[in-house]
Amino acid sequence: MFERRLYHHVDWAMVGAILALCLIGLMQIYSATYNQQSGVSSIFYTQIWAILIGFVALLIALTIDYRSLADKSHFLYIAIVALLIGVLVFGVVRGGSRRWIDLGPMNLQPSEFAKATLALVLAKFFGESRRGAVTRGDFLIAGAITAVPLLLITQQPDLGTAVTLVPVLFAAAYVAGMPMRIFGILAIAALLAAPVAWKFALKDYQKERISTFINPSQDARGAGYQQIQARITVGSGGPFGKGFQGGTQGQLRFLPVAHNDFIFSVWAEERGFVGVVAALGLYLFVILRSLEAARLAKDRLGAYLVLGVLATFTFQVVYNIAMSAGLLPVKGLTLPLMSYGGSSMIATLAGFGLILNVRMRRFTN
Amino acid sequence: MAAPTEDRRRISSRVSVLQVGAIIWFAALAICFWVLQVVQTDKYVEMANSNYQRTLSLRAPRGVLFDREGRVLVENRDSFTISIDRELTKDSAETIRTASALLGLDAEQVKQAVDRHVKSEPVYRPVVIVQDASLEQAVRVLSRQRELPELSVEQVPTRKYPADAMAAHLFGYVGQADEDQVKAEGLSQNAIVGKFGVEKVYNAVLMGQDGAKSVVVNSVGREIRELDKIPPTEGRRVQLTIDYDLQKAAEDGFRHAGFNGAALIMDPRTGEVLVHASTPSYDPNDFAAGVKSATWSALTTDKLRPLTNRVLQGRYSPGSTFKIVVATAAMEEGLVDSNFRVNCAGGANFYGRFYKCHLRGGHGSVDMRHAMEKSCNTYFYTLGNMLGVDRIYKWAEKLGLAGKTGIDLPNEQESLVPNTEWKLKRTGERWYPGETISVAIGQGQVSVTPAGLANMIATVANGGTRITPHVVKAIDQGNGWTPVPLKAVADRVAFRPDTLAALHDGLWMVVNAAGTGRRGRVDGRDVAGKTGTAQVISNEGRARARNSGRDLRDHGWFVFFAPKDNPQIAGVIFGEHNEHGYLGAPIARHVIETYFAKKEGKPLPVLGEKPSNEPPVDDPDSPPALPAVEVADARPLHSRTAAQ
Repeated sequence: MFERRLYHHVDWAMVGAILALCLIGLMQIYSATYNQQSGVSSIFYTQIWAILIGFVALLIALTIDYRSLADKSHFLYIAIVALLIGVLVFGVVRGGSRRWIDLGPMNLQPSEFAKATLALVLAKFFGESRRGAVTRGDFLIAGAITAVPLLLITQQPDLGTAVTLVPVLFAAAYVAGMPMRIFGILAIAALLAAPVAWKFALKDYQKERISTFINPSQDARGAGYQQIQARITVGSGGPFGKGFQGGTQGQLRFLPVAHNDFIFSVWAEERGFVGVVAALGLYLFVILRSLEAARLAKDRLGAYLVLGVLATFTFQVVYNIAMSAGLLPVKGLTLPLMSYGGSSMIATLAGFGLILNVRMRRFTN
Repeated sequence: MAAPTEDRRRISSRVSVLQVGAIIWFAALAICFWVLQVVQTDKYVEMANSNYQRTLSLRAPRGVLFDREGRVLVENRDSFTISIDRELTKDSAETIRTASALLGLDAEQVKQAVDRHVKSEPVYRPVVIVQDASLEQAVRVLSRQRELPELSVEQVPTRKYPADAMAAHLFGYVGQADEDQVKAEGLSQNAIVGKFGVEKVYNAVLMGQDGAKSVVVNSVGREIRELDKIPPTEGRRVQLTIDYDLQKAAEDGFRHAGFNGAALIMDPRTGEVLVHASTPSYDPNDFAAGVKSATWSALTTDKLRPLTNRVLQGRYSPGSTFKIVVATAAMEEGLVDSNFRVNCAGGANFYGRFYKCHLRGGHGSVDMRHAMEKSCNTYFYTLGNMLGVDRIYKWAEKLGLAGKTGIDLPNEQESLVPNTEWKLKRTGERWYPGETISVAIGQGQVSVTPAGLANMIATVANGGTRITPHVVKAIDQGNGWTPVPLKAVADRVAFRPDTLAALHDGLWMVVNAAGTGRRGRVDGRDVAGKTGTAQVISNEGRARARNSGRDLRDHGWFVFFAPKDNPQIAGVIFGEHNEHGYLGAPIARHVIETYFAKKEGKPLPVLGEKPSNEPPVDDPDSPPALPAVEVADARPLHSRTAAQ
């Protein structure tokens, strides 16, 4: 099942870029959580473990032929749905939501793994279709496959992570040849549904986040606070930054969760525009290389799989970075590869294992 | 099994679209960051700085006040101030509620205090809600710093005045600068300035320069480290002319005697004020950290008016002490010499009316010295009649009794001695010679401050040089004590030797012979003096106002100097409603004894048991029942009838 020669086809440049982003994140976590009194935070060591385990997961996802994985993906899908139900029943409650399963030394966040699983299932679904283009019926079935884990995740509640499943569906459907007409109809439907959703579906705190985003100064001490502070953090970094641990916004806690949701703001503060361009370049490089892998893929399945995995990654990266600069409403979305978080790191690296897998096996039969 | 070419082409083109899309997204992000980090850096750097930097004002301690021998009179202590930092306040109403409950304050008052500052001041400046907080209040705030980062405790220097409200009216008090001062002098809203007394007059010297400290704070307002500090500059040290021991002796004297009043005692050679006392008094410490409204209203509504500085602001009839002015005027104008004799038969007729002397049987034939000793009214009626009111006024002014003394303390009232021009201007009526007769014994329209009388007796003591009383001896401008230059002598008349001898002898006899000032006598010190009674109300009015509840008892004066030849100390004791001038003499005696004991290095005298009140049967100072016209003069001008 594994052939030595495949190693020559591993995209080492992309692996290097991924590792670089992990290290940047690790450095920022160190900077943000280092404490004069208690020294290096345990968070830092947890992240090192997460990266190591993540690369093991990457290796595993790389080793098994993606076609075999896709073939068995309905089992993975069932397993993840079971875990998501399990979370709702046995999960650990933190900060008002039930997202984690307690595994002793580490907590497992099944919703993170739902993304790659969904990418596999949808790739298999669209890949098996014999028709030339995706029909409305196909899309409705794919939508139902997506909806099950999505709805389960919203019950935790974790709207942020739930929403990241949507790009998986659209990216796979798009490359699978869904007519642009259907995208247009969906867009119009979404626009029409927005006011209804505002009235009935959104919770008050969610409405507040959105209205605060439109006018942050209306609540400069409350919900608008983080957004204003994010802009100050990024802007005050200037072209060259304030230096390692030299930031005031992150170090003095004006911006909360500097090791997590706002890790990019603090990176921008301490490393300046130069650092921002470097990090953006690495992310863009990873994304373009992945798209390249989709293009090179030996079969439709591979291309759909890459797009599914990449879509959720890209969505999260772009959203988080825009939020870091106060350009989008504050939402509990982490920055993949950089933010602190074990499950996210392992799931993301496993996802890249799948992408590398597709590229690596472009010549095999 | 290769993917169909059709699929491959579609995938490839759609991936290309995504590639272009990704590049556009990232370029857009890069542009946004470029705008924030390169174009708008300065704006955000400033916002970040104001996030974590706080500039705190460090209040400068006011200059320390010393007495003439270098003993500390007024210094500074540390007190706690509790403030609200509005920048860290999320919900102002909630903070006010919590803070009031925590500190035991009235929420409404706190709200008012905060509202006062909201518009006029930048948001980063903390609003003081408690001045001079107790240690307990400070600890309560500090222990809840984590939940209430918007409350802060600061240590500020606060004025500390001596115990027993000593010399309160001299020192004055401090308080928050009012709107006008803030505007005119460019002070901060919380600035503490002198409001009264030396604190007010020498405020510019005493105030010092506030410093500033900029610190790094974290998101909950906790101070992380100091960035920069400009230490405050303490106000200049000021040495007063006051002598602590003499001041204490005078105040002890009043307490011992059991009446209120005022004392101003100085060195007649220089005008240096040794004692400045006014009772009842207030405790300036109550004002040091903001006066509480209950204390303030108690002070302002007190019928005894403790806030009034009687030395400078009280005006009373001088009574018999004014005879010194008349005697000086008559001799210096050359109308009489000291041997001039008048036969007193218990009064005399002037302008068709009989003016009584206090001694019914009369003093017989008296010369200047004995007239002074016995305070013979008839003698001074006669001199006054010879002089006329304008020449009396002229000499009152030369001796420093008319107008202001020019002392370096605020709110001094003018002493009033009438003259013809004044009366014409004031009432449109000409002066009647009959009025002069009562002026000659200090009755009628004469109304003087204790400071004015002290200045008069000092001029008489030093032989005619009208000095300006002053309370500051030296100021330390940072390079040692620099003496404050004496004000130019206001007027200098060298008395004729005969005048000087007669005045000094006569006044010496008041204390040391058969006069009324015997209680002021100190063995071997040749104290000279004169008592007087200031009528509170005319004898007629007294009958009418008997049941009004007002205190109608007369005030008593004692003016003095010692020793008779080359006097070193001179002054006035004013006793409010003490009825007899001679009751003030023991206070003067205690001060004089203390003065000489200090000078000769002897132990300071201690006041003995309260003296038994041995009232002399007849007080010669008691104002005589003057003829109708003069009595009418004692009434307010508007009710006066044109009697003659």
